[in-house]
Amino acid sequence: MVNPICQARLAEERKQWRKDHPFGFWAKPTKNTDNTLNLNKWDVGIPGKPNTSWENGVYPLTMTFPEDYPQKPPKLQFPPKFFHPNIYPSGTVCLSILDEDKDWKPSITIKQILLGIQDLLDDPNLDSPAQQDAYVMLKRDKPGYVRKVRQQAKEYTPKDQ
Amino acid sequence: MVLISSEQGESMRVMPSRYSGVQAAVGADLFKHVSGSRVLMVGAGGIGCELLKNLVMSGFGEIEVVDLDTIDLSNLNRQFLFQHRHIGKAKAHVAKESALGFNPDAKIKSHHASIYEAQFDQAWFKSFDLVLNALDNLAARRHVNAMCLAANVPLIESEIDTVLRLRWQTQSKDISRLYNSKHPKRPDTLHRVGQKLFVQLFGKPEDEEETINEEQTSDNAKEMAHLLHEKEALKRLREAAGTPEYGKLVFEKVFTDDVKGLLVMEDLWKNRRPPTPLNFAEATSDPSVTSTPADELAWDRKVWSIEENTRVFLDSLHELAVDFIEQQKRDPEFSMSFDKDDLAALNFVTATANLRAEVYGLEKKSRFAVKEMAGNIIPAVATTNAIIAGLIVMTAIKVLAGEWSSCKNTWVARNINPERLDKPNPSCAVCTINSYTLAINTESASLGDLLEMVVKGSPGESPTSGLGIQGEIAIQEGERLLYDVEFDDNLDMSLSELGIRHATRVMITNENDDDETGNSNVSVILYIEHRDEFGMPAKPFFTLDGDRTLVPRPRAPSAAPDPPKATSTATNNKRPAVLIDSDLGGNKRQKQENGNGDGVMHILDEDDTVLLIE
Repeated sequence: MVNPICQARLAEERKQWRKDHPFGFWAKPTKNTDNTLNLNKWDVGIPGKPNTSWENGVYPLTMTFPEDYPQKPPKLQFPPKFFHPNIYPSGTVCLSILDEDKDWKPSITIKQILLGIQDLLDDPNLDSPAQQDAYVMLKRDKPGYVRKVRQQAKEYTPKDQ
Repeated sequence: MVLISSEQGESMRVMPSRYSGVQAAVGADLFKHVSGSRVLMVGAGGIGCELLKNLVMSGFGEIEVVDLDTIDLSNLNRQFLFQHRHIGKAKAHVAKESALGFNPDAKIKSHHASIYEAQFDQAWFKSFDLVLNALDNLAARRHVNAMCLAANVPLIESEIDTVLRLRWQTQSKDISRLYNSKHPKRPDTLHRVGQKLFVQLFGKPEDEEETINEEQTSDNAKEMAHLLHEKEALKRLREAAGTPEYGKLVFEKVFTDDVKGLLVMEDLWKNRRPPTPLNFAEATSDPSVTSTPADELAWDRKVWSIEENTRVFLDSLHELAVDFIEQQKRDPEFSMSFDKDDLAALNFVTATANLRAEVYGLEKKSRFAVKEMAGNIIPAVATTNAIIAGLIVMTAIKVLAGEWSSCKNTWVARNINPERLDKPNPSCAVCTINSYTLAINTESASLGDLLEMVVKGSPGESPTSGLGIQGEIAIQEGERLLYDVEFDDNLDMSLSELGIRHATRVMITNENDDDETGNSNVSVILYIEHRDEFGMPAKPFFTLDGDRTLVPRPRAPSAAPDPPKATSTATNNKRPAVLIDSDLGGNKRQKQENGNGDGVMHILDEDDTVLLIE
């Protein structure tokens, strides 16, 4: 049921994000059918870093907060089959700061999470592969991998650019 | 000897009263307190059954019991107010009836209901002298704690930690290792792999997605991700159900081909033992192996060999598939869900888990052990429940006596360990929430009215004064955001249109940038009490009860990297919490003082570590 710690923290995070968030990123709670906002589920956009093969893309994710947030980390999910060695086929991000048994700390903010994922895009961790396609391609066919990443960046380039 | 009840007065006068022991122990004055008290017991399970019996035998005046659950066969070994003939009946009602057998004079009111229901509102909580939690889950503990904080009623919390129970029950090294070790893949989650495959083959497609997502944070996710990746292949497998090759196809897909696929990702195995694919021909080479043994009991507790697991896997898979196809003929939408009491399903999950364990070089488990894990059965110790229920009653009597200084947090392991109550924690995220009961007409008042008149309205001590909260305000109900500076669409809607009714909890938070100390940043929960007559001429628009001194919220997480942790200057003089539990002490719950010096005790789950008891 309702956890006031989680509620207060989410309201807090929303305020902090509004005051200060990195350029090109966006993050907002989804809308419920009753015209209220759902603070436990946000839509997020993360831009690829300039001068990397991820640039120009703004990659959409959903960010879902469990009832025990911030004791437990939120779950971040790209669209299914998103091409990256550390993204599961379902789109879920594999990142140590999002793992409560690893580096998650309740003090980690939404901003830090999203910046962490932006870093991960161009700096995959080959010790912890989560999907076969991107992993095998990066290991065996680097040029092909880069082509595929650029192709994906094009797919996710916002229309108005 | 003073008699409490007159109903059986004549016969009792010649005998010592059933309360004479308690009276002698606590004294006649304090006993009057006890017999005049009104207590709430939340939960009538393992601890609850013991506790209710103790309460009625100790002469507590009025007792209300709330429990949502019905009685299961697996409850009967320790929840001794229940018998076989009660299976399926409401725990609260049966507990009451059975306790009345112990003491027919007891006044017990039972509610077969969820403690979250609107009928259990602030007014109801305030009607008790004391609340006793005998719950099995964190969410309900949190709810009762918040309700007690707001109602200013003492709460005695208790719990049984699952890890401890397992250790006590079995006294076996391998079980404690099971919970202590940091193995890359904990054996206690192994059965989930079996349940997952079950869902993939026989469940609803959406169930499948759901269960897989659940796992993705764990290490199992790596294998499961692969399974998901091969969803198409699984779909083809589902279509092969019922054919003679089906068993072999599934076996080789899951235990041979998928494992080979994972081996390709060689970096995964740099720091851990690589899996070994199974060979179907080898695993089925012994034709004498059977899955229908003579001695079922021994078979249930034995760890099966690979050949036995394979046999069980194939036979149970066949049985399930035949049933599945048969049912689907009648209803194309038919799907199965795992039920620990369905033997074929349990066999399948056990065999799958063990074959998986073989692949990864992990410990295999007996069917009995898998059932325990897959069915979330906690083997409870009746004696621990009894010790804890006894301690609760002793503490309850101290609380009624106002003997706060002699109350202890107590944990029970191999002996009973009382500890001094913890010091107040000014940065506690729970008790720094300011609670008020807001009486208002939810039909006629709008969200804008709530914001302008109640939240921002000029502060004062009168019940019709506002809270005077300034800065950027957010209004939430549960996970729904109703209003903030960037979202003012709903201000003209009435509260009831927004789903805010009697007993709803509305949360207000603010951020006041004009006040750099942060001391005017607060969290407030308003417990809504609907009043039809409010908002009419000559009637108040609203009233707010409670102390108007707002306690600031602990310092917010700043956007700076690694901010110093919550060094709030909060001066909330909150009072002791009492926690009675059986815990090895390794799992430190945050115990928290609370209140204003009137002797209220609360246990709070802080953002630290919290035990999950399920």
